[in-house]
Amino acid sequence: MKKHLETQMGKLVLSEFKSVEELQKRIALLERKAEREKKARNIAENQLERYSLEIYQTNQSLKSALAYSTKIRSELEYLGKSSMSIASELTLNEMIGKLVELTCEYCAAEYGFYFVTEYALEIGDTFNKAWSKELGWHCQSGLQRLIGDNLPFSKTDIVDPWFVSVANEVNHHYLKPLGYILYLNFALSGGKTGWLAFWSQMELIDEDIFPVLATARDNLTSGIQKRLTDERILRRNIQLQNLVNDLEKAQRQLIQSEKMASLGQLSASVAHEINNPITFIRSNMEVFKEYLKDYKSLHDDIKSELVKHKNLGMTSFTAICDKFDLTYIDEDSAALLIANIKGLDRVRDIVEDLKSFSHAGDPKLIKVSLNKCVDAALRIAGNVFKYEHQVSNRMTGSCPLVLGDLGQLQQVFMNIFTNAAYAMRGGGKLSIWHTQDNQTVTIHIEDTGCGINEETITKLFTPFFTTKPFGIGLGLSVSYVILEAHSAQVTVDSEIGLGTTFHISFPVSI
Amino acid sequence: MKGIVFVKFNEFIEELWGEEFWDEILDEADLSSEGAYTTVVTYDDQELFKLIGLVADRQNISEREAQFAFGKWVFKEFYSIAPSGAHDFEDVFEFLHAVQDFIHVEVKKLNPNALVPEFKFLSETSNKLSFHYISPRQLCFFCEGIVYGLAQQIGQAVNVSQSECEHEGGQRCVLVVEKV
Repeated sequence: MKKHLETQMGKLVLSEFKSVEELQKRIALLERKAEREKKARNIAENQLERYSLEIYQTNQSLKSALAYSTKIRSELEYLGKSSMSIASELTLNEMIGKLVELTCEYCAAEYGFYFVTEYALEIGDTFNKAWSKELGWHCQSGLQRLIGDNLPFSKTDIVDPWFVSVANEVNHHYLKPLGYILYLNFALSGGKTGWLAFWSQMELIDEDIFPVLATARDNLTSGIQKRLTDERILRRNIQLQNLVNDLEKAQRQLIQSEKMASLGQLSASVAHEINNPITFIRSNMEVFKEYLKDYKSLHDDIKSELVKHKNLGMTSFTAICDKFDLTYIDEDSAALLIANIKGLDRVRDIVEDLKSFSHAGDPKLIKVSLNKCVDAALRIAGNVFKYEHQVSNRMTGSCPLVLGDLGQLQQVFMNIFTNAAYAMRGGGKLSIWHTQDNQTVTIHIEDTGCGINEETITKLFTPFFTTKPFGIGLGLSVSYVILEAHSAQVTVDSEIGLGTTFHISFPVSI
Repeated sequence: MKGIVFVKFNEFIEELWGEEFWDEILDEADLSSEGAYTTVVTYDDQELFKLIGLVADRQNISEREAQFAFGKWVFKEFYSIAPSGAHDFEDVFEFLHAVQDFIHVEVKKLNPNALVPEFKFLSETSNKLSFHYISPRQLCFFCEGIVYGLAQQIGQAVNVSQSECEHEGGQRCVLVVEKV
């Protein structure tokens, strides 16, 4: 059943309502409904207004939050980029140049400058250049002079914060303001002062940038300090490297000098070693000369026998041979020849050993046989051991190879051998043998000499320390340096009156 | 409670029993809002409970029936103003899951203070779904009606019952939806 008012032909028609009372009741109901709807509409409108206000306020708040976050982002970007430049491997000038660019952009200045002064005077080619966003680094001598005139270069103090000053131009005897200059200075090496300056044509500067600039300044000064320290360290490293090079050179010269000195001391022995075979070879050659005469006589006798009898019988030939004792000559000649060859081989070996021993230059570590090395050293120094000495070399081919310089190691062994001979002046026994474990091989050199007391043992490897009346005290100290270079370790056991043993341990070459 | 519920309740009562009846129960309820409902503000929950109680008294029906009838009627109203994504469902169970997983989530995004019920799903087969209805408003019968309205809207026949109900001495309200 429809219960509402309808409009027909411009006037209200009552339908379904039976009385005026009902009509009034209906009107009252509709009025209450209209009242509720009006009130609801007002509530809704108020609510919408509140929503609009909230949206507006939220929008404003978002705008300011966006502006704030944009500002913070720009600050962080500036600080981040400047920190990266400062921490980078750029040179000091490149780093400061980069910071000028970043700071100029951050504080929206038109131009950025970098000056260096020394005793209040401008120096360096930085004065001819300025940086701008449009042109990058370029010549701006006029502007440069204007900014320079406005900076307190005469002050040598380092100012802590950033400073702002009005840029003035002297024009027809009056000052014409030209925006502001933001600047700071900082200490460089050698009493120099660095200045960063930024020129803006704007009249006002945003004060919020100062805390950020202060942080950048702190980063810059620590970055400069670090670079200056790095430069100092680099310079000192170069000095130290030069010293090390000089020291190594001196050490090489010392080793060579000591080697030559050892050779000088040994020259009599070496000469004797070479002279011995030469003497007996020469003596043998004298015998060969006699044998040659005998053969010539034999030849003459056979020739005259043939002229006389037209032939040579066996009896006559045997008689002639017996006359010259040809059988003995044949046997002796063979023996003499073998002895000569052996003698010449010995001379050749000594010369070879001397060549490797006297070789100068940087040690070249190659795989060497300690067995052969000891043999060679004994051959050169062998003559220091007299007839009253006994040498027992128990080194064998089983001794593993080590990385070493043959000549230098020979020098070490020769030093120890000659010292041993000196300690056994009244005679004695030199024993050489090796032992081995997983990683090392140890050469043991034992003499039965007078022994060394404990105090002397502590000074044994000290340069210029010697117990010999004519020694120079470099032999063992140089030997120690050589062994160190071979990563070898040396220890000494000694008992007075019983003898001394050197133990030299080398890492085994794999 | 959001004003849209009161506005729709007004429409529901007027559609069913006429403007006079609505006017009478408003007069009797003597509400602080005076029944001036608009969708853009929030009203005291108690006003709805009071109105439902008066309707039940006057029409000689239970509050459960009143809530159920309103829920069943109002679903199509909400459905018609819901975003188009809500119209893509063809299954009651899927829709109920979506209500919990997406629709209520989106409602909370738009109205962080909105108090939406929570559906904790307990069991589900191809034709039977049970879930724990959790709401401090305890409008479980209204929820039953909503589920019926939903089924009607997407053309599925269902029975909705409660295996447990706080209004009937249970510890919780568990709604059981069965496809028939």
